[in-house]
Amino acid sequence: MCSLPFLENGMKNNRFVAIVLIPGFLFLLVFVVFPVVYGLGISLYDYNPANSQNPFTGIENYKRLLHDEVFWIAVKNTIFFCAAAVTANIVITLFLAEIISILPSKWMKTLFRTILFIPCIAPMVGTSTVWKYGIFGTDGGAMNRIAGLFGAAPKNWFLTTWQFMILIIVFTLWADIGYNVVLFTAGIEGVPKEFEEAGAIDGAGPVRRFLYIKLPLMGRTFAFVAIMTMANYFQMFAQFRVFAASGGRNNSAMVLTNYVYKMSFDSFDMGYASAVAAALFVLVFAVAMVQNKLMRMDWSYE
Amino acid sequence: MKRKWISALLCASMVAALAAGCGSDAGSGSDSGSGESEEKSESSDGKTTLTFWCHENEPWVKSYKEMAKKFEDANPDYTVEVQDYPFNVYNDKIQTALTSSTAGPDIVAVWGGTAPSFIESDALSEVPEDMVKELEEDYLAPTLGIYQKEGKYYGVPMEFNLEYGGMIVNKKLFGDTPYPETWEDLRKVSKEVSKKNGDIVEMKGFEMMDTDSLICNYLAMILQQGGQYLKDDGSIDFATPEGIKAMEEVLDMYKNGECDLENLTAGEYCYNDVYQDKGYMASVGSWAIGEGSGSYDLTYGEDYEYVPVPQYGEQMAFASETGWGIIIPENGANKEAAWEFVKFFSEPENLVQHNIACNQLPPRKSLLDSEEYKEAMPNITFLLDILPSGQWMGPYNTSDMREIFNQMFIDLCQSDSPDVEGALKDASAKITEGCQISYSMD
Repeated sequence: MCSLPFLENGMKNNRFVAIVLIPGFLFLLVFVVFPVVYGLGISLYDYNPANSQNPFTGIENYKRLLHDEVFWIAVKNTIFFCAAAVTANIVITLFLAEIISILPSKWMKTLFRTILFIPCIAPMVGTSTVWKYGIFGTDGGAMNRIAGLFGAAPKNWFLTTWQFMILIIVFTLWADIGYNVVLFTAGIEGVPKEFEEAGAIDGAGPVRRFLYIKLPLMGRTFAFVAIMTMANYFQMFAQFRVFAASGGRNNSAMVLTNYVYKMSFDSFDMGYASAVAAALFVLVFAVAMVQNKLMRMDWSYE
Repeated sequence: MKRKWISALLCASMVAALAAGCGSDAGSGSDSGSGESEEKSESSDGKTTLTFWCHENEPWVKSYKEMAKKFEDANPDYTVEVQDYPFNVYNDKIQTALTSSTAGPDIVAVWGGTAPSFIESDALSEVPEDMVKELEEDYLAPTLGIYQKEGKYYGVPMEFNLEYGGMIVNKKLFGDTPYPETWEDLRKVSKEVSKKNGDIVEMKGFEMMDTDSLICNYLAMILQQGGQYLKDDGSIDFATPEGIKAMEEVLDMYKNGECDLENLTAGEYCYNDVYQDKGYMASVGSWAIGEGSGSYDLTYGEDYEYVPVPQYGEQMAFASETGWGIIIPENGANKEAAWEFVKFFSEPENLVQHNIACNQLPPRKSLLDSEEYKEAMPNITFLLDILPSGQWMGPYNTSDMREIFNQMFIDLCQSDSPDVEGALKDASAKITEGCQISYSMD
């Protein structure tokens, strides 16, 4: 039996790759797979880690979910938040990325990308607290001060319902758009110039060139941004905890992540919290699968 | 071969880094325990170390440390390490520590409102027999309430928690005007001085609309009329004639523009408005007196004072939830020594000094006449007289109870034609169903 040099090299490479991947897999196993499986297990118990007895309750926690009014409000709010915030995020970031990409000089592009990216590196708990008191604050908040300049009386935004959710979305967009702007700018700049030039020669204006040439050609970036942003927004927590720890008026700002935390660490009802977390997992997984299917790409520039 | 070695080394270093990341960070408390092993072992000088957990609060932590020092002097075989943590993570830390047999504290200071979560587990050590007699004979009922489970005790109170009875008044704003002494006077002053603009009352009269004060004042108003919100079967009923009348009175304060909902929605305390010259009077526990000088650099007697809240009904009565106490984890390695520390802490001559240092009210009946306390705390002596008139708030998770109650109140305030009775009925049913403690007291 002869040994082929390229096969031998390939085997060595595979071994090297396998060895290097072991720590990563161990990390995933210990910190991702195990907690997920353990969490699913806990959801079948009336679980409190401090108890010596944690009775097995089967699917009771899941049955409770079906009749839990707050859970369904949280599901509705989570879906609304994700749909509205992700859509707004993509529209705004695409627009900003296109504007940045047509800026004449490189330093201007870098400057604007940096300015937009700064909120992304600030901890969201900190920025949420600043916004809670400094922007949305009833007494002395920037919004009420600006409204006061036009003669409007101060408003307690924390007493509102859907308006309060919109404010949280606005904050989230401010805090998070920089990341997607960077990705979209890279995506736009990756589209070969020839296509746009051909469109221009055929008489297409800038808007049509963007919508019908650039946007379809940066489909992979678009799919990545849409899926990652959606998955990320389903798990948004810090701003909800800071702005409305108990869910806001009539639970109008209660989302699943905050509900999981509330059940776990306010009520110490960890079995039920795990069931809520499992429901969130199913929701995120289903949405990601649908997005993945809808946005599958099978082409290249070549 | 060289490559194989490199890959093996790389792999080993990454696994080591991963393992290092998973390693425990012993003694992560912000204080004296930092960097020390939390294992229950004798230190090099042969002394047993007891770990005491508390939350961050400068005068309180200082008092705990003084108590620890006194205990060490009286018991040379022990050292007590006081470790403090931010309050917002404190309960989570306790919950986690109770599950650990090696890394937990020996002694834990706990807030009565969150204690049921720990007591309902079987992770706490039972109060020793000799202390039980003392608890039953000398401690005021509201201070003990929550620490009972099935006829046994699992915690020892350090204070009488009273959110009703006193108010911070802004002396500068009052000027020469005397403080109100009747409820009618209080409402009259409150109406006269308040100034509303949109959703904000820019100058508040009498404030009681924050997470702690609202329900405590409301319950006192029911009880002072001779009413009761706790039924014989343990359920809650606010929709009694007294409950409805009291709620209408509180709503009237809001509708009249005497105070706003800002503190309730932002999770802040009303007394801050008084300290910031934005309010005349705010109902709050005596613990807030120190904030005036500590946080706002004001002078007691010149800028502000602490005086009695005028009674609403004919008889003095109020409801109080169990305050701060001490629990001992069942899995602690030094349980006996820990209980010895608790006994030492609870001795009247030691406890009174702690109460004075922390601006707390004493939980023991025998301390109500303490000259030492009265001399040191002349501003709150009037509260000692009303303590025996208090009842325990009831076997409820008071944090959840407040959340439902406050939500109902906000909805009533926002409604143009509020159905007070209906709202009180709904809230009573929700609290009875959702907030009752899962274990029996007797």
